Amino acid sequence: MARVAREMVEKAGINVDELLDKLVRAASAEFTTYYYYTLLRVNAIGLDGEGLKEIIEDARLEDRNHFEALVPRIYELGGAIPRDIREFSDMAACADAYLPADPKDVNQLLNVLVEAERCAIRVYSEICNMTFGKDHRTYELSAAILHEEIEHEAWFSEFLGEGPSGHFRRGAPGESPYVSRFLVVPSGRHA
Amino acid sequence: MARADEVPDGGAKLFRVGRRPVVVVRAGRDLYALHGLCSHQGRPLEGGAVWKGMLECPWHHFQYDLATGENVYPKRVYPLQVQPQLRRQVRSLRTYPVRERDGYIEVGVRPPARTLERRGH
Repeated sequence: MARVAREMVEKAGINVDELLDKLVRAASAEFTTYYYYTLLRVNAIGLDGEGLKEIIEDARLEDRNHFEALVPRIYELGGAIPRDIREFSDMAACADAYLPADPKDVNQLLNVLVEAERCAIRVYSEICNMTFGKDHRTYELSAAILHEEIEHEAWFSEFLGEGPSGHFRRGAPGESPYVSRFLVVPSGRHA
Repeated sequence: MARADEVPDGGAKLFRVGRRPVVVVRAGRDLYALHGLCSHQGRPLEGGAVWKGMLECPWHHFQYDLATGENVYPKRVYPLQVQPQLRRQVRSLRTYPVRERDGYIEVGVRPPARTLERRGH
């Protein structure tokens, strides 16, 4: 634990235990999303599914990076993730992104994906609001994750025909342009 | 049941009416009263975000329509036909009539049916 780092956050007026609860739940949501997006990606088949598969993979690996980036901050603040993975997964801050009833229906896949991203945006917006101006490190990390979640939502929303996202997909899956600087374990991308 | 100023605009506050948990929500001029525990894992809805006619559970961000108590998210994407066990998680919340009178909030809750005690009756 980074003792003084935690004290400074407390001194700024943040209930650190409440913040840790939110961070652990967010980390759980990222971890479970990584699992569920694996299912969604492998089921994105056929002509329609093939293009979708690539952006699901981009989002999937970036969500895994979000988990990786959150864990050290949790421990820095004196928190921990649960010993039991089942307890951890039950804490996820968002609903599970289950494979839809008809996985061959690309629209159903997209609706699951876009709703998952929207929930993530709400989660990280809450954490940013809580930490802005008070816990600078957590704020920067949460804002970086929020940037990527917003892009994920925009991609899926565009596929649903809701309008242009203004984005182009990543150069490589899991690139994490905003979060990569927080990763303890390098993502393996070349500079 | 409670003073009107205990529930500010955009607030969701949990009360006990008898043994029944009830969350009272104020959204602008409107007051709503719903069952106070989320159907997902039975966690209290107090402090949930209130926005665009919805109450969001602060724990796992399930969303409920304030007027009807119906689950909006994730019910719209849950594969209930193939995983019917998920229906329990997205059950609608019971709603109650609520009003503000003379600076107090009143919620209409039907008293529970009397149960016979096992011994002596």
